[in-house]
Amino acid sequence: MRELFPAKQVMGYFFSLLLTVIALAVYFVDMSYQVAMTILLVTAFVQAGVQLVVFMHAGESKDKWSIYTTVYYGVFIALVTIFGSLLTLIWGY
Amino acid sequence: MKVDHSQPLEYSTEQNRLNILGFWIFLGAEIALFATLFASYFLLRNGTGSGPSDGEVFVIDTLMIQTFLLLTSSFTIGLGVHAMRLGRKTATINFFIVTLLLGLGFVGVEIYEFTQYIDEGLTLQTSGFSSALFTLLGTHGAHVTFGLFWGSFIIYQLITRGLTPETANKSFIFSLYWHFLDVVWIFIFSFVYLKGMI
Repeated sequence: MRELFPAKQVMGYFFSLLLTVIALAVYFVDMSYQVAMTILLVTAFVQAGVQLVVFMHAGESKDKWSIYTTVYYGVFIALVTIFGSLLTLIWGY
Repeated sequence: MKVDHSQPLEYSTEQNRLNILGFWIFLGAEIALFATLFASYFLLRNGTGSGPSDGEVFVIDTLMIQTFLLLTSSFTIGLGVHAMRLGRKTATINFFIVTLLLGLGFVGVEIYEFTQYIDEGLTLQTSGFSSALFTLLGTHGAHVTFGLFWGSFIIYQLITRGLTPETANKSFIFSLYWHFLDVVWIFIFSFVYLKGMI
């Protein structure tokens, strides 16, 4: 039974629950908008990293390089799309 | 078909390895898809017209339940893949079943949440905010729903065919899809719900 619950994944799960609780603090604790957004940005991206490395085994095959390239490329496109839209249409430049 | 026994089953043939790489490339495209939906949501968030705004409709209870269900399902499918690598067929199937039940719970809570929004006068046609919100949440929810059907067929194949290089490969790819949906949810949880409630 024990071998079915590897320490790495159990730790990963508790860590992701912890990150969720920290993120929830922005709702339950009074803080400024800047502090809250900083907390959310950090917890969200760390959480995504935990999923990618611990659960999705992104780095284990010999296609590791191709896999990380396609993920980073996707994330790059995502950030440009989101922040580019905000910059040109909301924040002004 | 050349089977390499030094690798886990899901990587054991050339075809399997390429299937997994191909699925990662698909996920790269999915990241771009969800990015466009997030971008339109952030642009339209303040366009509430005469309808309710984000802070008025979001509820912390359903949000916490949904997040807990999806995070846990991501954990259990990870355990499923781990059991698969140990060659434990029954344990694999059980972990996959638990995963799908948690996913079903998630979709159930999401549907309940949508009916609450509609009761409060927030429908797809209410405002720019509501249409962007429903499109983003709906696309994610539709992916989870699709995953429930996909996962059920995978479980069926695991039961009838056992752990073969083929079924192990399919199960592993399904686990990648499921973890990806959890990652998307983390961003919805942080930058749609929590950001809207502070």
